[in-house]
Amino acid sequence: MKYLIKKFIALIITLLVISMLTFIAFSLIPGDAVLSRLGINATPEAIANMRAQMGLDDPVIIRYFRWLAGALHGDFGQSMRYSTMTVSQLISSRLPVTIIMAVMSLIIIALISLPLGMLSARVSGKWLDGLISQVTQVIMSIPSFFLGILLTVVFGLIFKVFDVGGYVSPDKDFWGCVHFLILPATAVALPRIAMVVKYLRNSVVTEMKKDYVRTAVSKGAGKRWVLYRHVLRNALIPVITFVAMVVAEILAGSLVIEQVFNIPGMGRLLVSSISTRDYPVVQAAVLYITAIVVIINFIVDALYQVADPRIRNA
Amino acid sequence: MRKYNYSLIAGLIITAFMLAVTITAHFWTPYSVTAMSSMSKNLPPSAAHLMGTDNFGRDVLSRVMSGCGTTFFIGMCTVVIGAVFGTIVGAVTGYFGGILDAVIMRINDVLLSFPSVLLALIFISFLGTGKYKIIIALGVMFIPSFARIVRSEVIRIKSQDYVKSARVMGAGSLRIIFVHIIPNIRVSMLTAAAVGFNNAVLAEASMSYLGLGVVPPEPSLGLMLSEAQQYIFVAPWYALFPGIVIALIILGFGLISEGLRGLAQK
Amino acid sequence: MEENELLKVRDLTISFPTVSGMHTVLDHISFDVKKGEIVGIVGESGSGKSMTSLAVMDLLPDHAVVDPGSSISLQGRQMLGMSEEELRQIKGNEISMVFQEPMTSLNPVMKIGRQVGEPLRLHTDLSEEEINARVIDELGQVGLVGAEKLVEQYPHEFSGGMRQRVMIAMAIINNPSLIIADEPTTALDVTVQAQILNLFKKIHEEKGSSILFISHDLNVIREVCQRVIVMYKGHIVEEGSVDQVMNHPRHEYTKTLVASMPDNAADTASDKVLVHVDHLNVYYKLRGGILSGKTGRSQILKDVSFDIFDGEIFGVVGESGCGKSTLAKALAGLNKEYDGTIQTNGLRPQMVFQDPFSSLNPARKIGWIMEEPLKLRGIRDKAQRKSMVNDCLQQIGLDPSFADRYANELSGGQRQRISIGTAILRGEKFIIADEAVSALDVTVQSQILKLLLRLQKEWGLTIMFISHDLNVVRHMCRRVIVMYKGQIVETADVEELYDHPRHPYTRMLFDSVLSDRKRHNVKFDSMNRLLFTAGASTGGCPFYNRCFYRSDECRKKEPELLDTGKKGHKTRCCRLAK
Repeated sequence: MKYLIKKFIALIITLLVISMLTFIAFSLIPGDAVLSRLGINATPEAIANMRAQMGLDDPVIIRYFRWLAGALHGDFGQSMRYSTMTVSQLISSRLPVTIIMAVMSLIIIALISLPLGMLSARVSGKWLDGLISQVTQVIMSIPSFFLGILLTVVFGLIFKVFDVGGYVSPDKDFWGCVHFLILPATAVALPRIAMVVKYLRNSVVTEMKKDYVRTAVSKGAGKRWVLYRHVLRNALIPVITFVAMVVAEILAGSLVIEQVFNIPGMGRLLVSSISTRDYPVVQAAVLYITAIVVIINFIVDALYQVADPRIRNA
Repeated sequence: MRKYNYSLIAGLIITAFMLAVTITAHFWTPYSVTAMSSMSKNLPPSAAHLMGTDNFGRDVLSRVMSGCGTTFFIGMCTVVIGAVFGTIVGAVTGYFGGILDAVIMRINDVLLSFPSVLLALIFISFLGTGKYKIIIALGVMFIPSFARIVRSEVIRIKSQDYVKSARVMGAGSLRIIFVHIIPNIRVSMLTAAAVGFNNAVLAEASMSYLGLGVVPPEPSLGLMLSEAQQYIFVAPWYALFPGIVIALIILGFGLISEGLRGLAQK
Repeated sequence: MEENELLKVRDLTISFPTVSGMHTVLDHISFDVKKGEIVGIVGESGSGKSMTSLAVMDLLPDHAVVDPGSSISLQGRQMLGMSEEELRQIKGNEISMVFQEPMTSLNPVMKIGRQVGEPLRLHTDLSEEEINARVIDELGQVGLVGAEKLVEQYPHEFSGGMRQRVMIAMAIINNPSLIIADEPTTALDVTVQAQILNLFKKIHEEKGSSILFISHDLNVIREVCQRVIVMYKGHIVEEGSVDQVMNHPRHEYTKTLVASMPDNAADTASDKVLVHVDHLNVYYKLRGGILSGKTGRSQILKDVSFDIFDGEIFGVVGESGCGKSTLAKALAGLNKEYDGTIQTNGLRPQMVFQDPFSSLNPARKIGWIMEEPLKLRGIRDKAQRKSMVNDCLQQIGLDPSFADRYANELSGGQRQRISIGTAILRGEKFIIADEAVSALDVTVQSQILKLLLRLQKEWGLTIMFISHDLNVVRHMCRRVIVMYKGQIVETADVEELYDHPRHPYTRMLFDSVLSDRKRHNVKFDSMNRLLFTAGASTGGCPFYNRCFYRSDECRKKEPELLDTGKKGHKTRCCRLAK
């Protein structure tokens, strides 16, 4: 418990540090928010007025805390590009799709890689293991956005079972949205499936060589008994940490894949905001994504503790 | 061991081939990289154009060949930046420990929990786009992961008796780090470099694809893919070949790092 | 089949495929184990003794090739060629095994109770309650107190000795007819080793199981076994009753195994104090996280004072964790967290470490490694360095061609020679040998000890010799300090200490050392009884919990190191203070 509280405090501090750093960094970027709002032809008086009004004359730390106070209430300010929308409105309209897709990828990864990894470990050293490891190595090498393009060609052009423009928002038709997201989620999942299979396989094979396995065999335990009652739990402990990394990778993968499938999620919002220098949105999006990553890391730490008694009692 | 290290051999062959293509492209390509021709738009692969032509009638093979150059250049520069600074940071923090080590490693842990593409995007939103800015962004991002590997290896080895023995003999800290310890972690460093190279290639391709990486007219495989996507149903080969080449480069280095790991375990 | 025959091994031949063809590790091994018998197999590493046990237990590595002429039969049934399922029925049921490494042989994420009960779960139809009751009963049998709680705990909460007891409980829970014990006490401290050996004898008496006991240590074998088999390079070279083999060894190898240690005949020490340690306290820094901000230090050594004279071999003994390695590190300058005085007369002590596999840099050739101290001495001339390394290699009994090899091409003994040579090449006359021979086979051990003694005389070295092995210390050293929990509990000349140990801990150590047992004749059960009785001591004598002679007074005040009246013999015990 003490361990978790410590980790939780670390989580809060991490988020604060990240938000502060991004805020300061963005405030240093040349290119004035006032100018972009008033246009280049604005009079100096108008600019000065606007600056005072927006509080831009205060020191950066004061402005950060003002922004933070707002952010804690869910107020990230106004988008520069979409003058009618607040940043939070923009994000809350984009976030659900990205999360749905990430969760779908995670499910696909878990469903395929766990059995495949165990299979590969069970036949380690045999031809099937070799085949699986070669295929995973190749799949790992394909960038997911290229996979996405390949999948659209195969399923859209050749089999004609996928409509490239068929996106529906989850508010309107949740299952329709899920249906559309199968292909993009697969594109995100495939390279990570390969990674998890390989990682799990190596972890199991390493564990199989340990002394406690020999003890179990000497007690008369059969292969399956040893694998599922002794090795699996030990082997999953390192995999848990790895999964935290995979989740972060899934998020990153979906940022790019949204571009491929034209999905209006966080990724496209972030990319378009970066290209149009809509910094309030970039800042908020970065904070959201980092918060998700950091919180997932926290959850994984907690899981890790449950799985490993050695850490629990430390 | 009777078994050859097939992964390492295959990886080296693929990488050598890709490097040869890149170097060739520096001096010679079948067609001009930028020459457009309205006569030869979107031609499928043929004897004249092995990989077909794009929407502007440019030869895809020539563009892919020169795109490799950008990819390798960015990957190599990233690895050099990351490896040099990462080794220094990792070796010093790992060897001396203390508060500095704890602080730097905490920062490292935070940075490492983010996928490289996301971090690179954040960097790019400060720095702006372009080849050299990408290199700086990716290089800086590569430092923590390299530092962490070097650090954990240095910590592992510094508790070995031969390091204690060197200290007892009176060898200085820098001599111990660079003469006694570093030679023992060469394989891990090479592996880390190969992995880092792949991450850089992948990040560069993704960012260029998103329009936030290399700026045209600089040739880039990622950029080509994003252009090609618009004509995907008309000229699928235009997307296919750059994609395959990216995958091959990554596969080559992936196999090398796999093979190196096998070497280290022996 | 004879009536009392249990295990019959005939012409067992096992080989492994290597680059240069098949490598035979067992060559036509034949032996029997009768019902109710304890048979020992002794031999050094690579002799094939462990391979034999793995073969009987069907635990051979996958690539091992068993010659078709081999035969292993258990109560008349041929085990080689049995189906996997038939063998599974035998393992953990009729034959069980106790392994060397108690720290790694238990599943770290499974509760103790489940692990101990597993053989019953695998081989019987007992209900969970019945199994649990048996487990608790059996844990009590092997001397663990509070078994009801222990079953809910995990291995990492147990000490090495406790884990080995758990392993033994697991091995006997199904009442197997044969227990194979593969170096079951090698990883343990001497006092714990004595307790575990005693436990084996008790099990043998009560359950009547046969035991196949494998060890590198003849003293251990003598303690437990009735009959002994001596193995050397894959062959059985001698076999017979323990007394017969120990007292009248016939084979050359057995003779070297039985032969005594080298004697430190010439006493070369002078009266000049070379190393002066006074009121030394050594600490380890504890680093808390950044958040907790706590930085503390825990004290490892308390008020240690002694002198080492020029040219002597000075012994330091004690169990693991007593602080003897910490002392070495402080003297060698590897741990700067200390207060008190360490004077080494301007010498820079050189160290020879325990583990020959980590004490030489694997990325460098031997020549480079041995030149390093010369470079650090400031010898710039490369040719001169090379010739000095050449000379030194010959001095330590190795061919100069070794300079071109890497450490991984060398045997453990050869590596230890290199370490000693490197320490000498630094040109300092004071060497700390920290368990320098503990990782070596007995025969190699005596060669290295002889080398140390020879070099000590030729170069006029002063050696601080740290060891857990009382026999070795006795033969090597002139004066000895005994350490317990970071303190010196007794110090004396070697003869005086070994003949008249005063501190209860020193006595307990000697009683645990098997070859000296008969002289002191102390009942082992008394030691077993004391093991788990007490909690942590607060104030008072640190040895109180384990002390055989304790009284209430010991709890009140921490005793001081006092003179016993005999020359240089001091001890830290309340009984003496009175």
